[in-house]
Amino acid sequence: MARLIPSAYQPPLPRERLIRAEPPAEDRIDLDVVFVGGGPAGLAGAIELARLVKKDNEQGGGLGEVGIGVFEKAAALGEHSLSGAVVNPRAFRELFPELKDSDFPFRRAVEREAVYLLTSGRAIHLPTPPTMRNHGHYVASLCEIVRWLGTRAEELGVNIFPGFPVDSLLVDGDRVAGVRTAPSGLDRDGNPMANFSPPTDVAARATVLAEGTRGALSQAWLEWQRVPSPNPQIFALGVKEIWETKRALDRVIHTLGWPLPTDAFGGSFMYPLEPNVVALGLVVGLDYGSASLDVHELLQRMKLHPLFRPYLEGGEMVEWGAKTIPEGGYYALPERRYGNGVVLTGDAAGFVDVPSLKGIHYAMQSGMYAARAIFSALKAGDTSAAQLAAYDRAVNGSFISEDLYRTRNMRLAFHDGFYVGGIKAGLMTLTGGAFPGKRINVPKDADVAKTTDHAATFVPDNKLTFSKVDGVFKSGNATRDTIPSHLVVGKDVPTEVAAMYARMCPAAVYELADGKLRVNAPNCVDCKATDVLGPRWTPREAGSGPKYQRM
Amino acid sequence: MKIAVCIKRVPDTETRIKIGGDGKAIDEAGVKFVLNPYDEYAVEEALKLKEKAGSGEVAAIALGSDAAQETIRTALAMGADRGVLLKSATPSLDPLVTARALAAELEGGGFDLILFGKLAIDDYNQAVGTMVAELLGLPSVSAVSHLELADGKGTAEREVEGGVEVVEFTLPAVLTADKGLNEPRYPALKGIMAAKKKPLEVKPVAADPGGVAVLELSLPPARKEGRIVGEGPGAVPALIDALRNEAKVL
Repeated sequence: MARLIPSAYQPPLPRERLIRAEPPAEDRIDLDVVFVGGGPAGLAGAIELARLVKKDNEQGGGLGEVGIGVFEKAAALGEHSLSGAVVNPRAFRELFPELKDSDFPFRRAVEREAVYLLTSGRAIHLPTPPTMRNHGHYVASLCEIVRWLGTRAEELGVNIFPGFPVDSLLVDGDRVAGVRTAPSGLDRDGNPMANFSPPTDVAARATVLAEGTRGALSQAWLEWQRVPSPNPQIFALGVKEIWETKRALDRVIHTLGWPLPTDAFGGSFMYPLEPNVVALGLVVGLDYGSASLDVHELLQRMKLHPLFRPYLEGGEMVEWGAKTIPEGGYYALPERRYGNGVVLTGDAAGFVDVPSLKGIHYAMQSGMYAARAIFSALKAGDTSAAQLAAYDRAVNGSFISEDLYRTRNMRLAFHDGFYVGGIKAGLMTLTGGAFPGKRINVPKDADVAKTTDHAATFVPDNKLTFSKVDGVFKSGNATRDTIPSHLVVGKDVPTEVAAMYARMCPAAVYELADGKLRVNAPNCVDCKATDVLGPRWTPREAGSGPKYQRM
Repeated sequence: MKIAVCIKRVPDTETRIKIGGDGKAIDEAGVKFVLNPYDEYAVEEALKLKEKAGSGEVAAIALGSDAAQETIRTALAMGADRGVLLKSATPSLDPLVTARALAAELEGGGFDLILFGKLAIDDYNQAVGTMVAELLGLPSVSAVSHLELADGKGTAEREVEGGVEVVEFTLPAVLTADKGLNEPRYPALKGIMAAKKKPLEVKPVAADPGGVAVLELSLPPARKEGRIVGEGPGAVPALIDALRNEAKVL
């Protein structure tokens, strides 16, 4: 068995493509504020900003019309959004004080919950850790949340542009001056076809990066501005399925242990969306030790466990999807999440609390804080870093920062394995985060050595278990085959590294054919896993990727 | 050149259709609706003709519920100049009822050309365009895959079994668009911004159920799973046997 370090084969981020020192073109569109990404962060931010502007104008504040645009790469809002999800309604309540919880796009309140430690044949009921208690929270589909927020934003006059991926930031010195959208209608070699649509430049006084997990522009901006963080950001990959079941599920289930090896951090979930519709998935930290680990395949095996099988038997898998999650927590937050003309929000900034498995309400809340800081900056006629620093102060003084600080070392403890991590995390809970008293250092995922080993072959039964290609079909991905590849792959990838990519990628984008790496770019569902450990992801033509409906 | 394009809001082709509780309509919850794909060809052709003529107007007209405003906005974002929604609370199932409502709106509008998609992908009737032509007493060509206009006359090509049929007609006329007529454009950002400010008139029309009633909707039977009879030349006899005796196609 050999060891390989993924970063040795990883190409650098193509920064020159993502950040362009060019003014917006003459035939540009002029907006005041651009949100890059129509997820919970971007939409909550756009709603809050539109309301502040409206109120200001009603009170004679004199701000006048403020052009707000939300740019989303999916063909329709929500189609690239995926989460568990059990949602803390806190940010919803703050954003919509006039509404009741029952008005929000949630499926059902969490009434019962259970945490199990799995072995290959058994499920041992564990006491629910304090961080995982979900009383007062709601099971929801992030797709539905996003569509609902989109309707609210449009009612307030926000311009929502689904099907317009942002390709690059346009910068003037160190100021973000706007964005450029991705062209569409290019053939495989990058030549325009009959239905070619050129990129459009958009000038903005402030740009909010709300790209979600492993955002390409956010990474490029942080790298370009040399904004450090105490620890590197680390990621997990989640693969999720929606099932219509014959048997009703009456509780929220989380599991630890099997089918993960002890040197991998992660767990599974199964949530009831409707009496006979469940969401289930498996999440694994990308700092795992075996090069042959395959999250999609582990999820398939997991469904055969006696805890899950009785629910799924006779049912139908109706949707499939995958997404990474930023798991680094407090110590992986960039030291500043603002600059001249720009702020970073939500998953793009890393506002996720792993011990409670929550990110949506932090994303929304950070979008709202961004909106407030930008509103003040527009009022002052100055969207420079000095003005937008108010955003960081708001986040730092809020429950976002407080929650992430309390659990600052918990995920990091698991870098040394499941059992050691479990004991340490228990001590952290008991001491309110005070143990071990200092930051646990972790390397970035791509620097963690993986052991090359052989995996047992798995043959799906096409009833309970499915291949990756079947999964991609169920994600709704109908990307045209002639699209230029949006993935930047390293040169001369050795066989064992290509094999690792093929196992890691849940969407069968990477294949090992005759010892060589073959890239099926149209399969990509934008989960960003290989961007963390291998080939880089870049924005591509509008409408590419999955079409999630209830993820 | 004054052109009307009649469009329809339909479920996306990739939507998984579920039949509603009453068994007579689809369950619209979670269903994504789009501009009927054949109507996209009609809108594109109208825009190209207007651009070629250098002046004129393209009006997008739809019969439907308030939700169809979004579909009209799509046509406006592509470049149509104005929209008209003939607002009807109940969905029209009878093509003749739809055709009458559209003809009443189009009558006296002074249009040189009236375009439709050749069919709507939800009901596949392929009837409304031709019916409107009949009601207005105008020449009509259906399923047009190529079009040339000059001096108040037009030549349209239709793909027919084993060949191409060429039809000459005089303007004004009613045409229905087939796939291949053009490559519809994506709405550009500027177009979407501009569409918000373009006029969209909403006119209530009387809901008349017409002569058609839905008794029952059912999904097509699930296709039987395929079977691999074997691999390589050795499998040929088994394949021939299966085709001859099971599928009975040889």
